[in-house]
Amino acid sequence: MNNFPALIVVCPLCAALLNLVLNRINEKLGKAVIVLSVAASLIMSVFVLAQVITTGTIHYHMGNYDMPLGIEFVIDTVNGLIVVLVSLIGFLTLLFSDNFGYKFKTRLTKGAANTVLTLLIVGLLGMTLTGDVFNLYVFLEITSLSAYCLIALGGERGIFSAFRYLLVGTVAATFYLLGVAILYGVTGTLNMADMADILNEGGKDQAMLLAICFLVPAFGIKMALFPFHGWQPSAYSYSEAGAAPLITGVMGKIPAYAMFRYLYCIYGTDFKYFNSILVIVGVFSVFGMLYGSIRAIAQTDIRKILAYSSVAQIGYISLGFAIGTPIALCGAFLHMLGHAFMKGGLFFCTGAIRHKFGTVNIEDFGRIYKKMPLTCGTLTIAALSMVGIPPTVGFFSKWYLGSAAAMQGEWIYLAVLVISSLLNAIYFFRLIEKVFINEDKSLKERVYDEFKTCGWKLVLPVVVCFIAILGLGLANVKIIDILMLSLKGVGLC
Amino acid sequence: MQLRRVITVLIMVTILVVPFVAFRVLPEIGDPNSAPNSHVTDYYIEHTISECNSPNMVTSIIVDYRAFDTMFETTVMFLSGVAVILILSNKPKKRDDMFRKFNPCTTNTGPSIFKTVNKDVMISIIEPLILIYAIYVLFHGEVSLGGGFQAGALIGMTYLLDVMVVKRKDRDIFNYSLERSVSVAGTGPFIYAVGGILGLIGGGLFMEFEAIPLPIEAPELHSIGILIVEVGVTVGVMCTIITILKAIMDRVSFDDDND
Repeated sequence: MNNFPALIVVCPLCAALLNLVLNRINEKLGKAVIVLSVAASLIMSVFVLAQVITTGTIHYHMGNYDMPLGIEFVIDTVNGLIVVLVSLIGFLTLLFSDNFGYKFKTRLTKGAANTVLTLLIVGLLGMTLTGDVFNLYVFLEITSLSAYCLIALGGERGIFSAFRYLLVGTVAATFYLLGVAILYGVTGTLNMADMADILNEGGKDQAMLLAICFLVPAFGIKMALFPFHGWQPSAYSYSEAGAAPLITGVMGKIPAYAMFRYLYCIYGTDFKYFNSILVIVGVFSVFGMLYGSIRAIAQTDIRKILAYSSVAQIGYISLGFAIGTPIALCGAFLHMLGHAFMKGGLFFCTGAIRHKFGTVNIEDFGRIYKKMPLTCGTLTIAALSMVGIPPTVGFFSKWYLGSAAAMQGEWIYLAVLVISSLLNAIYFFRLIEKVFINEDKSLKERVYDEFKTCGWKLVLPVVVCFIAILGLGLANVKIIDILMLSLKGVGLC
Repeated sequence: MQLRRVITVLIMVTILVVPFVAFRVLPEIGDPNSAPNSHVTDYYIEHTISECNSPNMVTSIIVDYRAFDTMFETTVMFLSGVAVILILSNKPKKRDDMFRKFNPCTTNTGPSIFKTVNKDVMISIIEPLILIYAIYVLFHGEVSLGGGFQAGALIGMTYLLDVMVVKRKDRDIFNYSLERSVSVAGTGPFIYAVGGILGLIGGGLFMEFEAIPLPIEAPELHSIGILIVEVGVTVGVMCTIITILKAIMDRVSFDDDND
């Protein structure tokens, strides 16, 4: 029980490492072990979350070395929730990706793709749990490498966009390392809590300013915040279809959480230039919310619509950080959880439609609800949630963000929030119109020779996302209470 | 278009100039009172030998105090090998068939044309020496210079040398297939993780070498743990190098090949 924090990461890691050996013995064995291990870490993360809620923050010291010496995992209620989210969507994506195995010609490449997908989950879990700045870098490296690989598997355009992401992502990793080097130069420690203590003694404002100037773009590139989003639309659109829900749903959120840690847990509100940094982040997110929504209106490929809408949605999360009150932070994290299910769900639906009919152009979607009722149900509820219609989670997260902005007197933020939601409504209602009203295009079902599709593995993720979007919306007070346990007293009050 | 270039140049100049002005916040090199040299470092210097039983301070920090980081660094190596396989498997093989038609390969076996070192003799002398040195580096990692990464690189390079010099027919003894090499590359980091899990079995925390359930004194257990870790790193690095080599060789054939 008290080793669960480490095992959450180590279980999928071991499964991923052994996958290719097991794959040589039996083709299904390796995948089964991977799915079981991720399920195990899902169960363990739920237990850890329950423990955190009752007993408070958990510190897990690797190798039993005390705080500044070794590496530690720190779990509070915020990242406890995010870990549950990552392992749940990772689990669903692993099941879902079985249906896209026909793309790989040999047994080796099929197994290798599963390995890379699992390592992406490992990297995301580790980035969320760790309490050490260099350990965060190592997990960032694992996440980025596996993401480059999974995006490159999506055909020729995928390779091109993966290469672009590789170039930009390397700059981000270097910037992060430079920022860490500067902070290490003035504090002499790599542990986040220890670093926060030393920085709070004061007198290091110039170095801290320089470091945050490197760190904000680094995380901005990784989470595709507005001026740094250039790699994102094509990478999200052309990534490997089986892995797309995880990449689009979760991958951008974890760097955002890391940015939250730097801004609020390491730097803290005592930092001299804190408000200026928040204004910069706020300006980025305001422009991102407008730009992403406007660009999304012009697209016809559903994946491109969703990718541009992600630029806007990440803007909501960073807007919450920019407002900075505990309520706003709660709204940002609720949006992070909700948006992972919305965008993941939309990509599960897109993948299912693509798997069945082989199309991603929304012009072809006429009355597709008759053929795929469950998928279209999730598509609709996720779209409504994106726009922000109660009782879906999208409404409540925007409500918390908006009320926090109003409480702080940030009227521009509130106005942009409303405008961006209305722009969302334009393109998502267009999508709903195509699905329900447009003429039937009489699409032909795709035929796979020698490849057995597994129906329930397509349906289960779609249904889970449907339940999660409604469930998070209805239980939003409970979630906010859980988040508040850790966020109370953090940020501007 | 022109504006975009100007903006790019401006941003680059800013990023280059600002750090030059502002990096004075960093401490002087070798300043004994600076933060990096006085906070955690003092503890490491004073306690490494008594706590980790390892005279080599670098090794003890990398694979004992911060062993968790190094486990994932090794995983990154493995991941890069897998990624190379996946990306290179996407494209058709042997794209230079037309080119080869006009440049027929000539065999260059037999006595060397130039009176230089006989590679067939030299390879059988050099390879065992490199391997012995690699194993020395591996087992000596905790005491003096060296460690798993270097040993793995040496063994991998030996294989590479062998592939480049010896004819393909004679290479059956030590011929790894792509599938096998990549599976073994995965077991390398797994051995590393097992080193950590042994601590869990003994009732300690992850990566706690003192809790390894063996009837030896505590300082010796640190040596055992470091050794397990180093072996894992060696296997991982060695097989990743072989994997990348194999994946590239499956893609194109070199002109020196005799078949």
